[in-house]
Amino acid sequence: MNPTNPPQYAFERIQRWMQAAVMHPDGVAAGMRTDEARSAIDADRPEQVVTRSKALTAMERLAIYGNSYFLRLLECMREEFPAVAHCLGAETFDAFSNAYLQKYPSRSYTLCQLGARFPGFLVETRPPREEGEPAVSWPEFLADLALYEWTFSEVFDGPGVEGRDVLDEEKVRAVPPERWPDARLVPVPCLRLLPLRFPVQEYHAQVREEKSPSVPAPAETPLAVVRRDYVVHYSTLSPLEYRLLSSLVAGRRVGEVIEEVAQSPGADLDHLAANLHDWFQRWGSLRFFQAVEWTDGALE
Amino acid sequence: MHPPRLGYANLGLGVGLRTVHFSHILRHQPQVDWFEIISENFMDSGGRPRYVLEQVAERYPVVMHGVSMSIGSADPLNFDYLQKLKNLAQAVNARWVSDHLCWTGVAGLNAHDLLPVPLNEETLVHVRERVRIVQDFLERPLVLENPSTYLTFADSTMPEWEFLSRLAEDADCGLLLDVNNVFVSSVNHDFDPAEYIRNVPHKRVVQFHLAGHTDCGTHRIDTHDGEVINPVWELYRLAHRLTGGASTLLEWDAKIPEFPVVHAEALKAKNYMSERLGPIPSAPTAAPIAAGGVSNPVSFLVASAADSCAMAAP
Repeated sequence: MNPTNPPQYAFERIQRWMQAAVMHPDGVAAGMRTDEARSAIDADRPEQVVTRSKALTAMERLAIYGNSYFLRLLECMREEFPAVAHCLGAETFDAFSNAYLQKYPSRSYTLCQLGARFPGFLVETRPPREEGEPAVSWPEFLADLALYEWTFSEVFDGPGVEGRDVLDEEKVRAVPPERWPDARLVPVPCLRLLPLRFPVQEYHAQVREEKSPSVPAPAETPLAVVRRDYVVHYSTLSPLEYRLLSSLVAGRRVGEVIEEVAQSPGADLDHLAANLHDWFQRWGSLRFFQAVEWTDGALE
Repeated sequence: MHPPRLGYANLGLGVGLRTVHFSHILRHQPQVDWFEIISENFMDSGGRPRYVLEQVAERYPVVMHGVSMSIGSADPLNFDYLQKLKNLAQAVNARWVSDHLCWTGVAGLNAHDLLPVPLNEETLVHVRERVRIVQDFLERPLVLENPSTYLTFADSTMPEWEFLSRLAEDADCGLLLDVNNVFVSSVNHDFDPAEYIRNVPHKRVVQFHLAGHTDCGTHRIDTHDGEVINPVWELYRLAHRLTGGASTLLEWDAKIPEFPVVHAEALKAKNYMSERLGPIPSAPTAAPIAAGGVSNPVSFLVASAADSCAMAAP
């Protein structure tokens, strides 16, 4: 502290310099040497900006913030993606997370968004395919697992319909059959449909039970994730059911969606006809939709 | 008895509301004077955390404590954030809203840390103007906390207590005096913590914080992971005497024990509300020595779905 001398640097420059130093993955000394830091303050020694204490040098004091930055955010990433962390092992997960935080540093006031782009990051940084490698391999497993974990968090803490009317089985049954073709279904805000390529939900459940599951074999796994009474549930879907649901969630008319699916090449009409009624009942029991509405604006 | 500071009453001895204690609190409804919440943990929540908070707010006074206002940053204030803060304060009838004298990031980034502000006339003017804007927007006095810091700047021209005193008087805001942070920073920056406590404007102290920290040998880190140590309790005794008492809250954010243990630690404050030596507490006389620790532990801010998921039959 120097009560007499005027400040040497505008505080905005000090902040840009310090941020560049503490967020650098190779440490604060490397961070100080970056163009970003030097464009704020061209300091050869941290003592130009930071004072030393009796016990620590300026660099050591700056490093406390640098070390904490990564430790703190890695801890949050492990909390957010425990199954991915289990799959990769602590060291590799931290390396992936460090690379992620470099590419997508937090720009939000809330840590709840810290992992938002991590599933996409795993897709972007997929290693180049080797010759003979199958179309779906362990990098796809990791990406699906991360997407599932992120979806789980989003659904857990996002908007829901607790305490509100939803389209349950009884209300589904009450819709006159002739009115279905023109109906649109309004999904609950806590419903997500995931076209997964691996049964990651089983892997995830085993990690939560503190077991050590192996990476499962690829298997097309269309999944619905939904929240009821503040508890997150998943349901596996048949491919056809997933297709119907995706179109309905997109806001298309029931008649239009069924017609499109029925007319698609290779459509199994018997399977469709045999299951359609049960699927609508099931979606009611699982609380996938809030309401049914018609183009004239009527709501059920 | 002192009049309420800025209209904010002395709520007694409170505890920070943490996810791991949700079930215990709902089930047992413990006799706690009040709860402090981390604002960012609830302002966007539409799930169980918000549901639990609404139930807690029906029964207990709630105070909102934020970590992302970034009042000392060179970046513009985030009015979207402030609007959400205001909405939450109205929804839970928050007794007051606090944050830290710090910046959390610049150039649009967020380090999610409570970074130190250079303490000089330039930053005092900057922070004072921003406090006024925030108070006008929130339509209530803001309460600002002294953070634990690990470095000081060559450009600082005044001690932190002077900066906070002038800021509080000029901007007409309240202070959250974190006694543990005063102690941690005093070790890290070689100053007398009692002098700090003696010099802050006592009539503006709305609230105290107490917490445990980690002794790293060459410095101390504010880890909020254990009991309050005796030197911090003694500072609290001094602060309590000089201020005439204010709402007191215990923070425990890492290695969090069962709720009764946390609450019992908060209740130890009663032993330090008089000049006479109270019953000898179980707190250690020195903080544990450890290789390091994460300052301002924040992983508890990530809403955990761990306790609340289930599977539906395919």
